[in-house]
Amino acid sequence: MSLVRPVVQSDERSRPTAGEIVRLAVVLVVAVLLQTAVAPHLRLLGANPDFALIAVVCVALVKGSETGAVVGFLTGMLTAVALMEPFGLSAFVFVLVGFFAGRYAETADLPAGLAPLLTVFAATLVANLLFALAQFLLGREVPPGFFFGRVLLPSLVFNTLLAAPIYVLVRLWLQGKAGLRAAAR
Amino acid sequence: MAVLLLLSVALLTAYFRESDSGVAHRVQDGVLTVVSPLQSGTATLTKPFRDAWNWVGDLFSAKSENKALKDEVRQLRAALAEELATRAENEQLRALLAFQEDRVFPKGVQLVTARVIARSTSAWYSTATINAGSSDGVEVYDPVVNGQGLVGRVTKVNLNAAQVMLVTDQQSFVDAMIQPGGETGSAQGIVSGSVTGDITLDYVDKNEKVEVGQYVVTSGRNGSVFVKGIPIGQVESVGRQDVELYQSIAIKPSVDFRKLDIVAVITR
Repeated sequence: MSLVRPVVQSDERSRPTAGEIVRLAVVLVVAVLLQTAVAPHLRLLGANPDFALIAVVCVALVKGSETGAVVGFLTGMLTAVALMEPFGLSAFVFVLVGFFAGRYAETADLPAGLAPLLTVFAATLVANLLFALAQFLLGREVPPGFFFGRVLLPSLVFNTLLAAPIYVLVRLWLQGKAGLRAAAR
Repeated sequence: MAVLLLLSVALLTAYFRESDSGVAHRVQDGVLTVVSPLQSGTATLTKPFRDAWNWVGDLFSAKSENKALKDEVRQLRAALAEELATRAENEQLRALLAFQEDRVFPKGVQLVTARVIARSTSAWYSTATINAGSSDGVEVYDPVVNGQGLVGRVTKVNLNAAQVMLVTDQQSFVDAMIQPGGETGSAQGIVSGSVTGDITLDYVDKNEKVEVGQYVVTSGRNGSVFVKGIPIGQVESVGRQDVELYQSIAIKPSVDFRKLDIVAVITR
């Protein structure tokens, strides 16, 4: 495993083909279905996993910032539709997460094996802070103790634990075994 | 990225500014009409796995007692999961039927049975999406119950799906009273949710006698969207302070919100 190699190689940053778009769409739909129908029932340390967020980060790590931002936007929109929540908020957060996760993958000098864990950790932190800020601005109660102890901390643990297996599955689905082997070199 | 961010903000602004019949709401309704059958299918397909997960969670708490049986139980788990799911579903439907038979609802009231097909995982919202909508006669503000008691009320309706705000949501308020009542009648107040998921009975005069274990039910006061007598929970603790006008009453919900599955919408 390379210690000083960007996760996304330059040849991986080109615009996706029709086949790749279909594969990305499958990731998107599966992530949203898992997020809305399965995640609410998986509770660990008081938190639920955020499959949608992890999927956006993983796609961004594999495909880069542009694709990450677009997939983030669409995932956020579809999640809002599925849960009948206000449009735009999740999309806004996921665009930022997708873009910067992709940028990190294009430029980072950290071990590729650690990249998914670190990125999902950072993305969970940023996303939760943004969601809490939005709730505060919308006039809802946001107790700091509850946020840090029962929302942020458990989410960081749960999402980071799930990052590696989901990253492997997403990379395998989007790039096949060759992509996975390339990532491990 | 800037375009997408601007688009997100524009959509968010438009969503909050427009009426329920606006473009963004109509687009959401249209897409949800396509997505809700998929969610419903996923919820049904993954139910045995979810039940297995819940089951493992329960087992974990009793780990010390069950250690010797653990291996044997694991082998049986997969075979039992489907049977347990079916049995649980039957029990829920029976409880719902009993709930309906035990009560006298006002004239014209009907119960529409539905399944929870999605739940918000956000800590800031306690909502669920059910697979019954306006085509089934469901309307905004309709109360939602299950065999255990009050689940919440409908806040948004689509053709085939509806969003339910759970009693535990911090923006949920329900007219309630304590049962059995005392000599001066039943103490009345408002059950409020909170961001932590705990529910409390507020605005009960501190001179009213309230005891731990008493039941809290909907009061069905004039103008309330909830019919009278739906169980909400039991009094868990009562706090009285000299400086406060009202008592601080914590309630243990009668509904297990972690395992919401089959519910009924009370339509008028």
